[in-house]
Amino acid sequence: MSDVDLVEAVSVLRDEVLETAEHDEGEVPGSEVFDALLNALTIGGESVPGLDLTLHDAVTRRLAWGDSEESVLADAERVFDRLMVAAERALRDPADRMVVIEAATQVAVTVARVVSLAAIGRASRDRAARLREEMTQRQLRDVLEKQRTTIARLEHETAD
Amino acid sequence: MTTQPTLRVAGDTHVGKVRTTNEDSMIVDPQRGLYVVLDGMGGANAGDIASQTARDAIREFVTQRRLTMEPKALLEASIQYGSAAVFNAAQEVRERHGMGTTVVACLIVDAKRAIVAHVGDSRAYLLRHGRLQSLTRDHTIVEELVERGVLPPEEAERHPYKNVLSRNLGAKPETRVDVFELEVKPGDRLLLCSDGLYGYASAEAMQYLLGSGDPPESVARDLIDLALRGGGGDNITTIVLEAPQPPPSSSEVVRTSGANAWWQRRARFLQVAKERGITKNPICRALPPEEALDLVALSLFQAIFHDLEKSTGVNVWTFAQNIAGGWFERGGKWEALRGLMDILAMSARTVVDEVRAGDVQLGFLLDIAVSRALVVAELALGGLLAERLRQVDGDLIQLHTALQETIDIGGLEAAAGEASADVDISFTGDVPFTDEATIPFMRPDRVITNPGISAELLGAIEKTLTIARARTSPRAELVKQVLTSLQTIATDDSGNFASAVLAARELWGVRAVDDASIMQLFDALDSARIITASSVHQISVPDAVRAKVLAAISAAHQRLVGATTGLVLEAVAPYSERLKDAQTKTGELRDKVARAERKRAELERKFANTIDQSQPWEKRGATEW
Repeated sequence: MSDVDLVEAVSVLRDEVLETAEHDEGEVPGSEVFDALLNALTIGGESVPGLDLTLHDAVTRRLAWGDSEESVLADAERVFDRLMVAAERALRDPADRMVVIEAATQVAVTVARVVSLAAIGRASRDRAARLREEMTQRQLRDVLEKQRTTIARLEHETAD
Repeated sequence: MTTQPTLRVAGDTHVGKVRTTNEDSMIVDPQRGLYVVLDGMGGANAGDIASQTARDAIREFVTQRRLTMEPKALLEASIQYGSAAVFNAAQEVRERHGMGTTVVACLIVDAKRAIVAHVGDSRAYLLRHGRLQSLTRDHTIVEELVERGVLPPEEAERHPYKNVLSRNLGAKPETRVDVFELEVKPGDRLLLCSDGLYGYASAEAMQYLLGSGDPPESVARDLIDLALRGGGGDNITTIVLEAPQPPPSSSEVVRTSGANAWWQRRARFLQVAKERGITKNPICRALPPEEALDLVALSLFQAIFHDLEKSTGVNVWTFAQNIAGGWFERGGKWEALRGLMDILAMSARTVVDEVRAGDVQLGFLLDIAVSRALVVAELALGGLLAERLRQVDGDLIQLHTALQETIDIGGLEAAAGEASADVDISFTGDVPFTDEATIPFMRPDRVITNPGISAELLGAIEKTLTIARARTSPRAELVKQVLTSLQTIATDDSGNFASAVLAARELWGVRAVDDASIMQLFDALDSARIITASSVHQISVPDAVRAKVLAAISAAHQRLVGATTGLVLEAVAPYSERLKDAQTKTGELRDKVARAERKRAELERKFANTIDQSQPWEKRGATEW
């Protein structure tokens, strides 16, 4: 591996990879993926403790702000594709490129895992909410039945 | 609805299903470009007084100072003025102590700039390119805790203080206002709303309605209906602002009107192709005429249609390659193919001319787009011809080499036989023959139709994944399956997503949608990643190739996890649908109960009157029900 500081070398690709020029101020879609990549490069190793948590936090925040799981995933894919191109051009030493590629793949798998877990969590909540709705429906049907009986009785009595 | 030259705006408000008074207020003032939603709070009918007091104060302040103050400062100062007005009003009457209001306000500066300010939990949303994003963060205690990192976001929704405001207008004479400038882009939609909307409607549904393309007045109304269907537990107020749409680009016109006009004339296209004798062309002659029309003419017509719709040339390219490739494989002649393409091109021209006769501008744009598609078809044919030419060129080189060898041998034999005669008859050509292709860019080792992956890289990828499989535990079947899938995807030279989707479906198999089952899949994907990353160092190739191998496998990995996550999302989608159906059904039942309740009350009144009148005077009113 060369003496290049990879975190710094990848940091300078941020604008290119995230296409920040095309976005307004504020959070750029996919920035959480890029930050996670820098995090993975900083710590190194095959698995980064905390990467899951950091990404989970960032992805959950995006989902909480109304972004769909598909858009989070699409942003991650876009960042991955653009990073591969940028790294190929910007890093001369193949060993450096390989470190960045490994980290990027690790982040891609983690994002997919987090998004999948979030989707399953949402499905569980939806299922629970549907059960509550069905319970409410049963109660409403009971109320409706009683109302019908009362109405029938009152109609009968007022008709007399 | 009000219409400005540059902006379309509509606002609407509703008391909701539970409350008896509407404590929300709003300002829709296109003349000053001022749009405000306020949500009042406080007992003894003080909420509506608070929001109305703040509304009047803000409007008055903006009206008086708008020519003398800078817009951002103006909006912020007007809200401060509103806060002071509510505070003073609360001090005057004992019952109104503690009343207050939230506010979200937008001041349109010009066609490209707006100022947004807010206090409390009324929100501003922006819909841009079909994506809804919140522009404001609620000033609630819980949000502040989340922002400071004290509370995880996922717990915020369940927190008992989730609705307790940390700021409002009226609690103090002055308040902290969040204010920022927004660059407005063509087609943007801005939504200002009270919590009665987003508290009872999902962000997805709001995004759908805002992005529906309906005019602002119906969107504002539909949003209120949405919150009512979700329970309508609070007052609901919405203001929808829409920046003017940019004029459609010529490619958009072609994609929509152009493609539509083209599709409507398919019968005409087939008729012209038939009249020009397409069914008699040698390529079609073996087929029944109708089938030939469908297989050849209609296929090209559809390919052009799909390419017009998507502004690509891929469908026409594929059509031309398939038809020409098949024809050449059967030993067909070039003239027949040329004749067929000419008939199809002439039929296309006739259709375009007819469109042009009806609409000159659309016809002009369609002409360019269809011409482009036909050029793409010609390029595809050119590629195939080039390939054939390259083969012929290679054959010629071989023939020439063989001929040279024959002549050399003949020359040597002659030289040996006639050496005694001292006659020099050894073969020497005037121009030395070099063993190169006669057309320089057509190297025999270059595949023209598919640049794809080099054989060296393919071999290295396969070797890496073979090593990876060998290093995998025999019991880790799923990991081995992932490694095999990676090989399929990484060596798929078509470069499309289909192989990743197929591989993901195979990996998915029969799987329950729960944490344990899905985690098993992702654990296998992660293990495969780690094994691959170390296996790549065990193949003996130059470092540059090694990096390329890892890049190819990683790209395949990324596609595979993307496709797998896609399957997860596909599997969970029905849960949301079922919930929505259940919510709709509950809403309908609630309506039925409410109607029945009204009817019952009416009948009881009627019944009471009947009984009362049947009693003597002194006993009337004493009947108990």
